[in-house]
Amino acid sequence: MKESLIFGKKKVVTGNHAVSYGVLLSRAEVIAAYPITPQTQIVELLSEFCASGLLKAKFIKVESEHSAMAACVGAAAAGCRTFTATSAHGLALMHEMLHWAVGGRLPIVLANVNRSMGPGWSVWTDQNDSLSQRDVGFVQFYCESNQEVLDTTIQAFKIAETCLIPVMLVLDAFVLSHTSEPVDIPYQEDVDQFLPPYKPKYFLDVNDPRAFGGLTSPDHYYEIRYKIEEAHRKALKVAEEVDNEFYQIFGRKYGLVEAYQCEDARLVLVTSGTITGTARQVIDEERSKGKRVGLLKIRLFRPSPIHLIKEILTKVEKVAVIDRNISFGHSGIFSQEIKSILYNEIRRPMIFDFVIGLGGRDVVPDDIREIIDFTYKADYPQEMVYFRGVRL
Amino acid sequence: MKKLDLKVKDYPELAISWETTLINKTGTWRTFYPKYFPKTPPCNYYCPANENIQKYIALSLKGEFEEAYFTILEKNPFPSITGRVCYHPCEIGCNRGNFDESIAIHAIERFLGDYGINFVESKRKIEKLTFDKKVAIIGSGPAGLSCAYYLLLKGVGVTIFEKESYPGGILFYGIPAYRLPKEIVKREVEKLTKRGAEFIFNKELGKDFSLDDLTKKYDAVFLAIGAQIEQELGVLNEDANGVLMGLDFLKAINLKRKIKYFGKNVLVIGGGNTAIDCARVALRKGAKVKILYRRTKEEMPAIREEVEEALKEGIEILFLTAPSKIIKDKKERVKGLECVKMKLSEEVDESGRRKPIPIKNSNFVIKCDTIIKAIGEKVDLAILPKEIIGKRTVLADEYGKTNIDKIFAGGDCVTGPKTVVEAIAYGRRAAYFILNYLKNFEIPKKESVSLVNYENLNTYYFEKQKRIEEDRLPVNKRKRNFKEIVATLTDQDVKYEAGRCFSCGVCNNCDNCYVFCPDLAVLKKNGEYEILYDYCKGCGVCAHECPRNVISMFFEEEK
Repeated sequence: MKESLIFGKKKVVTGNHAVSYGVLLSRAEVIAAYPITPQTQIVELLSEFCASGLLKAKFIKVESEHSAMAACVGAAAAGCRTFTATSAHGLALMHEMLHWAVGGRLPIVLANVNRSMGPGWSVWTDQNDSLSQRDVGFVQFYCESNQEVLDTTIQAFKIAETCLIPVMLVLDAFVLSHTSEPVDIPYQEDVDQFLPPYKPKYFLDVNDPRAFGGLTSPDHYYEIRYKIEEAHRKALKVAEEVDNEFYQIFGRKYGLVEAYQCEDARLVLVTSGTITGTARQVIDEERSKGKRVGLLKIRLFRPSPIHLIKEILTKVEKVAVIDRNISFGHSGIFSQEIKSILYNEIRRPMIFDFVIGLGGRDVVPDDIREIIDFTYKADYPQEMVYFRGVRL
Repeated sequence: MKKLDLKVKDYPELAISWETTLINKTGTWRTFYPKYFPKTPPCNYYCPANENIQKYIALSLKGEFEEAYFTILEKNPFPSITGRVCYHPCEIGCNRGNFDESIAIHAIERFLGDYGINFVESKRKIEKLTFDKKVAIIGSGPAGLSCAYYLLLKGVGVTIFEKESYPGGILFYGIPAYRLPKEIVKREVEKLTKRGAEFIFNKELGKDFSLDDLTKKYDAVFLAIGAQIEQELGVLNEDANGVLMGLDFLKAINLKRKIKYFGKNVLVIGGGNTAIDCARVALRKGAKVKILYRRTKEEMPAIREEVEEALKEGIEILFLTAPSKIIKDKKERVKGLECVKMKLSEEVDESGRRKPIPIKNSNFVIKCDTIIKAIGEKVDLAILPKEIIGKRTVLADEYGKTNIDKIFAGGDCVTGPKTVVEAIAYGRRAAYFILNYLKNFEIPKKESVSLVNYENLNTYYFEKQKRIEEDRLPVNKRKRNFKEIVATLTDQDVKYEAGRCFSCGVCNNCDNCYVFCPDLAVLKKNGEYEILYDYCKGCGVCAHECPRNVISMFFEEEK
C-alpha cells in the first residue's frame, strides 16, 4: 500500500473503508476488534494497514467484543489512541465494557455499523443496537454519507481526547457500510495538524502506581458521575468547535444538527442516518410544489444538542419524526427525545412519530411523501406512534 | 480537607486512588514464589567438552564474535578443528530439533574458530611467563595439544614428543584434508608454539626414550599416545600383499608416502569414521571402492553426514556383510574376499547393539586387489609399564591420574578409540589436575545440572525457521582431489542461525516476565530482572510465559 496512492486523493470507497481511512489518518495506536457482519471490512483494511506498516498500530486479535473493548480500555488507560468497531450483537456484548470506557474517562473511538438485533436474525440496518446503548455515556454521531463517515472518524478522536469521553460513530449497514461513494481522502499532514498526538491526563504509570476504577463510596460516587455529565456538556461545545476547525482545514462541515429548508417551514421532518438523504430529495420536490416543508437532521445524538433543536422546532407547527428504531411499549426513540426537549416550551409543535424501515426494509421517497402528506393533513397526532409500512 | 467538603471540582475525572498503591503489599497473599533459576541447556549438557554453547550463540547473535570465540576457548582451544570434525552430540540434544530442526551448532563453532584464527589470534596478547615447571607430553594429538594449551596459559612449560614429523597426531595424519585441511591444524597448533611450547619430532616412546627418562627430567608427564594399532580381522591370509591397515593407509596418504600394493578395486572393512575416511580417500586416489559392514546403517558408529557424503560420492556399502577369508594369488597378492551375509540377533553385545551372526551357506566372493582393515583401533600397551595398564587401555581416572606418581594420561589411550572432542576435553581436565599437582591450582567445580527439556519450553513464542545449510563442494568437483568439501558460514548466516536458538534455561532479556506480570512486580535493573516480592502474588504468569524455562515456582515454605 503506497501512501502516495491514498492520501490527498479522491477515492471511491465504501462506508466501512471510509472508517478505516479515517482511523489510518488519525494514527490510532491500538486497535482491538472482533469481526462481525457488516463491520468486518473496517478492521480487515485496518489489519492490512498494520501489516504493511502504513499504520504503526498494535492490532490485537481478541476472542469477543467484550474482550475487544476490554483491550481498548486497557490500551487507552495506558495512554494510547485507541479504536474499535462492531455492530449489533457485538455492541450488545460490549455493553459492560462501554460503561468502563465512560467511567474510566477513556477517549476510545468506536465505529458501530447499525444492524438490527436478532432474533429473527438480520444483518440489515436499523438503529436499535446503538440506541440501546444510549445511557452508557458515549458520545453518539449518526452519519449520512461516506465522506461524513471519514470526517466524523477524525473529528471523533479530537472530541474524545479533548473531553475525555468515548465517542461512537454510527453508520447504516449496507446502505453506507457496503455502498461505494467518492470520498476525499485528506493529506496526512493536514490531519496531523488538526489532530496532534494524544497526551493523556491520566495513564497507568509504573513509576506512580495508582488504583484505577476502585471502590467508590456513596460519599464520592455522585461527584465523579457528575463530572461525566460536565464532560458531555463540554463535548457539545467542543464538537461544534471541532467541526468549525475541521472546516478551516478541510473545507467541509456538518453541524451538530442540520436544518434544511427550515426557515419558513410549517412542517419539519426529523431524520438521522441515511434516511436523511432520501428525505432531502423529497423536501426539494415538495418545496418546488410550494409546500413549506423542511428537514432537521440529527447528527449528534449524545450529548443532545438541545438548544439547536429548540431553536428550530419551536418555530414550526408540526414535526414528523422518522424513527428507524422502536422502544417497545412506547414509541420511536428519537420522537421521545424531541418531545422531552420541547415539552416545557410555550410554543411547541405537534409531534408525529413514524416508526419505519425496521430490519433494513427500504425507506423510499414515496414513504417520505406519504409521511409528509399524512402529517400535513392531520390536525394533531391521534396515535402516540404510527407504524409506517407494517402489513397489519 | 475533610472528605465531605470535597466539591466536584476537587475530584479527578475518574475514580483513581488519591495516593500511590505501593502501600498495599500484595506479596503477603503469596503461597508460591517465582525465582530466576537458570538451567542447563541440552547443547551444553551433551557437549563432551562442556562448551558454553548457548552463551557463544547468544554472543554471535549480537555479532560479538570475538567474545564468542573466547567463550569456546575456555573449554576447547581448537574450535576450527571441532567445528569441522566433531560428531556434534550438542545438535542431537538441541531442543529445537523437536520443534523444526536443531541449530547448526557445529557450523557456528567452525565460523567462530576460523574467525579466531583469522582475526583474533594475531592481536591476542601473550603473557610473558617464566616456566618454573615443565611437563612432558607424549603425543601431539588432540588430548596432548589440549593439555599443553591449558598448561601454557597457566605458566607451565611443555615439551611435546611426537613420533612423526608433524604435530597434530590423528588430526594431521588421520583425518583426510577434505574434512580437515592441514592448514587449519597448523594454525591451531600455532596457538601453542606462540606460547612457548617445545616440540620434539621423530622421537617415539619405547624406542627413542622411556617414561623413566622423562620423569627424571620433567615435573610431570602426560601420556596421550592415542589408540593406533588396527585390530586384526582374524581371517585366513590376513598377511597377503594388499591388505592394508586403515590408519596406516590414511597416514601414508596424508604424509604423501608411496603405498605399496594399492590397487584399483578396494574393499574397506568396518563402519566407523576410519572406514569411511579410508573409503573416500581411496576413491579420491582413483579406486573403485566398496565398504563392508557387518551390521546395518543404523548401527554404524561413523558420523551420519560422512556416511551420506560417501554414498553420494558413489561408494557402495554392503551392509550385514562380514569377511570370512582373504583370497590371494600365487604372488601372495590379494585377489578377492570371501564374505558371509549376517543378520542381527536378539542378543545385545557390550556396545549395546544387537549382535550380528552369520547366515549359514551365504558365502560369496568379491573380487578386489586391496583390502583396508578399519574395524577399530587399540592402544599399543607393549611400550607401557605394567603398573598403569589395564586389559586394553591405560588406567587413569577422569582427571588423568595414574598409579605412578608424576605420570598422567588421557585421550584415546585411556578411553579406547573415541572422538576428537572427547580427547580435547580429557586433555583439559588432565591439565587442571596437573596444575593442581604442580601449583595447587583449584580445579573448577562441576556445575550442578538442571536440564531443560523440550516440554519445559513455551514454544508459543517461536516461529518455524529453516536450519542454515552450509555450502558443499559438488560431488563432481571432488574427484581426485582433497579440496575441503564444506564451506564456512558467512557472518550473516551465523547471525541468522544464532537467531534460531531458543536459549534454553538462560535468560536472554526477552521481557516476557516484565511485560506479563499483572502486578508490575518484575523490575528491570541494569539489564537484569528483579522480582519485587513485596508485591508479587505468586500467580506464576512470569514462569509460564517465559519461553525458555528460566523462571521456576517454589513453595513459599521452601524459601
